[in-house]
Amino acid sequence: MHRLGIAGFLVILSVSGCASTKGTSTSEGPRVAQAAVPPDSTPQPIPPPASTPPSKAESSTDNGSDQSSTPAKTPDAAPPPPTSPAARPSPAKGKSAGDSRLAKQTGAAAAQTRPPVSSPALPAPLPASPSSPAPAPTSTPAASPTLNLADLEQRLRETRAIGVFTKLSLKNQVDDLLNAFRDLYRGPNKHPPAELRQRYDLLLLKVLTLLQDGDPPLAAAISSSREAIWSILADPDKFAKI
Amino acid sequence: MAPRISALTLTVVTLLGGAPLVAADDASLGKDLKATIALQGMPCDQLVESKRNGDSDYTASCKDGNRYHIYVNAQGRVIVQKL
Repeated sequence: MHRLGIAGFLVILSVSGCASTKGTSTSEGPRVAQAAVPPDSTPQPIPPPASTPPSKAESSTDNGSDQSSTPAKTPDAAPPPPTSPAARPSPAKGKSAGDSRLAKQTGAAAAQTRPPVSSPALPAPLPASPSSPAPAPTSTPAASPTLNLADLEQRLRETRAIGVFTKLSLKNQVDDLLNAFRDLYRGPNKHPPAELRQRYDLLLLKVLTLLQDGDPPLAAAISSSREAIWSILADPDKFAKI
Repeated sequence: MAPRISALTLTVVTLLGGAPLVAADDASLGKDLKATIALQGMPCDQLVESKRNGDSDYTASCKDGNRYHIYVNAQGRVIVQKL
């Protein structure tokens, strides 16, 4: 029985504690909501004349009141005043307006405590602005397709898109074409004729036809290397190094 | 009877399960042979039958009636010979 009583007491205590905290939080919400609506309707009963003119200024022109308030605050935060404050006041406007509204309700003492809170809030967003524009123009990678004959050969050997007989047939035809180039470069004329270019194009077309369904990345790699491979074949010096 | 039935069931299931693998192997071989024939510039619209004669040695029959002997000779070249 004692345990039940203690447990019940603890439960009631915790619930009441939570209710009290919720009550404070919810009570702040209605205050803000009420502060948004009545300031225009209740400027007369508030005795201090200093608070009433700002309320009229806010209701008529919010920007004018904020700009008038920010210059008064900027002298405190004078060390970091770059050119950006013109864009930054917009987030600070809501804070300053909310602070002024709270100040109206709480009184002059609270209004005196609020301005120092809002003034350090201004320099905080200012350092973020200079870091933003830097990284845009740095990314200019001109990715030219680099030719790697050994890699292409290895990928052709390992691909499953082509059967063994087909690979062997292709290898025979590649060897035939290379022998034709060797015969050409043994003679006096070092310039490859159009017939060799046609054979080369036809062989590459066969390879691409065989690969385009089963291994599209390899087909794309070979297709992008077409001219680079031909430049090697058509140059006797480069061809000798193969 | 029960062990016999279970053994028979196991055999049938094994054969049926392995059938797709064999079919896939045949399909890849037929595709390979058909591509080889085409690479040699010979006609074959559809491969309907392929018979293995030995290592790297096949006889292929196409739907259009063409038959080919496909093999690798001693020099390592793929030969497609029309029959």
